[in-house]
Amino acid sequence: MKKEIPLAITFISGFLLVLALFIPHKPFGNLEEIFNDWYIIVSGFTMLLGIDSLLEYNFKKIRRKEKDAPYSLILILSFFLTLIWGVTEIVRTPEHNPFSPTSTFSKYFYNSIFMPLQSTMFAILSFFIASAAYRAFRAKEFNSALLLVSAVIVMLGRIPLGQGAAPYVITVIFLIFAWYFYAESVGITETGTKLLYILVAVAFIALIYPIGWVYLKQHIPSFADWVMNVPQMAGKRGIMIGIALGGIAMSIRIILGIERTYMK
Amino acid sequence: MKLAILLFLWQASPVNMKAYDTPNDAGGSITITWELDSSWVVSRIEIYRTQDLNAPDTLIETLFKPETQFQDIGVMDKKPYYYRVLIYHGDTLVAEGRTTEPAISTQQWFNSKRLSVLIIILIYTAFLLYFIMRARVDKNLFIRKIAGLEAIDEAVGRSTEMGRPILYIMGLGYISDIPTVASLAILKRVAYKAAEYEADVIVPCYDPIVMVAAQETVKEGYIEAGRPDLYKESNIYFLTSDQFGYAAGVDGIMMRQRPGAVFLQGYFYAESLILAETGHSIGAIQISGTTAVTQLPFFIASTDYTLIGEEMYAASAYLSRDALSLGTIKGEDYIKMVLVIIILIGSLMETFGIGNHMLINFFNIF
Repeated sequence: MKKEIPLAITFISGFLLVLALFIPHKPFGNLEEIFNDWYIIVSGFTMLLGIDSLLEYNFKKIRRKEKDAPYSLILILSFFLTLIWGVTEIVRTPEHNPFSPTSTFSKYFYNSIFMPLQSTMFAILSFFIASAAYRAFRAKEFNSALLLVSAVIVMLGRIPLGQGAAPYVITVIFLIFAWYFYAESVGITETGTKLLYILVAVAFIALIYPIGWVYLKQHIPSFADWVMNVPQMAGKRGIMIGIALGGIAMSIRIILGIERTYMK
Repeated sequence: MKLAILLFLWQASPVNMKAYDTPNDAGGSITITWELDSSWVVSRIEIYRTQDLNAPDTLIETLFKPETQFQDIGVMDKKPYYYRVLIYHGDTLVAEGRTTEPAISTQQWFNSKRLSVLIIILIYTAFLLYFIMRARVDKNLFIRKIAGLEAIDEAVGRSTEMGRPILYIMGLGYISDIPTVASLAILKRVAYKAAEYEADVIVPCYDPIVMVAAQETVKEGYIEAGRPDLYKESNIYFLTSDQFGYAAGVDGIMMRQRPGAVFLQGYFYAESLILAETGHSIGAIQISGTTAVTQLPFFIASTDYTLIGEEMYAASAYLSRDALSLGTIKGEDYIKMVLVIIILIGSLMETFGIGNHMLINFFNIF
């Protein structure tokens, strides 16, 4: 019975919600809303469970005098400071919400400590993006070179000064390619291949003006839009269709009781 | 005088109005539509309602945009209502909609807009049931290799060899999110392997309910591996329900405990790259998986293996090799083929200018 009852609840509630998608008539129409309300009520109480777990974990660390105990101490002190501050505010000014923007708690503690810390985390993200992009865009093979080229196009086409900077960037990129092919040609002994490499290098230099300064300077934003709206969107939609179908399959497995890893 | 007469005649411009029961709803709503002449400069539209033609009607809504439709959600079912609109430019009446025929609101038993969803679900269910039945007979259904899932054992093994714990991050999803349930299936496998190798699994959680589910899952994994004595409940704990607080907390755990393997499985938002890059910086082998399309590129760039979208959902079936679950994956592949064919036919019809075909609104469900 320990397994059958939860499975029966899952099956009935899952099946009812699927029905509710097609039947707007009461009581099915607002069933999702009712279920969501129940979920919110239950999850509200589970926050106590979370606080209990958090405090127990950190108290244990302090009691065992572990290496990270000072961090745990700071966490516990912050927790109780917040709690006591909030309760005191309620007692002193019962008409005010202790977490409203005008309360002393919000002014001093939340706005001066918590918000800057959170903003810092978000700011750090930009540096992480740069380091991840550096690794992802290394043109080691054809696919990653393609990724690099499309990324450059999208970045130049979307940033405010991109259109103006595009010819210079293209010049530098083409010069690098020209130098690469020329440098490769130096070590080649076969005349035909050597000539081909030199010709490619010359072609890169010759194409700087027509491609970089004439064509791309005008068309880089529409190129960027094309990359975003056509190949990018096609790939993204493929993944999204897969996710939707996978989600349905997973849901059917859960409703039918085939998938029960979330149960004891 | 002539101007006043002309203005009066102009004011009397009739508006073609209709009031009808809002289709595909749970009742309590009537939709009113009217037409606007493109030459009118509309400053406000007043909508009046009455239940009795002999009684004066009352103003129920004033619209300050030149709209042509209004949904009255303040009506009772099975009772007739009459409507009238007045269209103004400033304080001048531009046009007046004559009182409509009685409209009666009712509840519908079927949302016809979602017929396409029902058709797809029925075909999908038929495929699933067929393959589930086939899987019972043929236990060796072929499913392609998923590198990220194959690498789980390697990651747990490497972490154990290094004498470091395994960090399992379930993201910011709640237990009501399917990626979280899929993540629990992967967690069970990780816990099973960790128990076999006598390694520790740390699971900092964003949601208390997910924490409880994770505790049960890890415990089950250890029990299945025959090592319930190694299970430590305190390793699966609640961290915070704040997005960047969670990211900072998990980063702290990574920097201090230096896990050998980091699993990022679940639903992630902007914190995904912060977590994945910190994991990379400590040299851990990282296996990520998410259905958040916007975060996938970050995971692909920063982690060693990535389960892309649906691969995450396939994980439990793939890892357990359970015939019933494998059947659902096979069914999923076939319905995907059906959808690709429908999309191709639709695209070709549009390309060749065959307009007004039945596929135009097939996926337009909301």
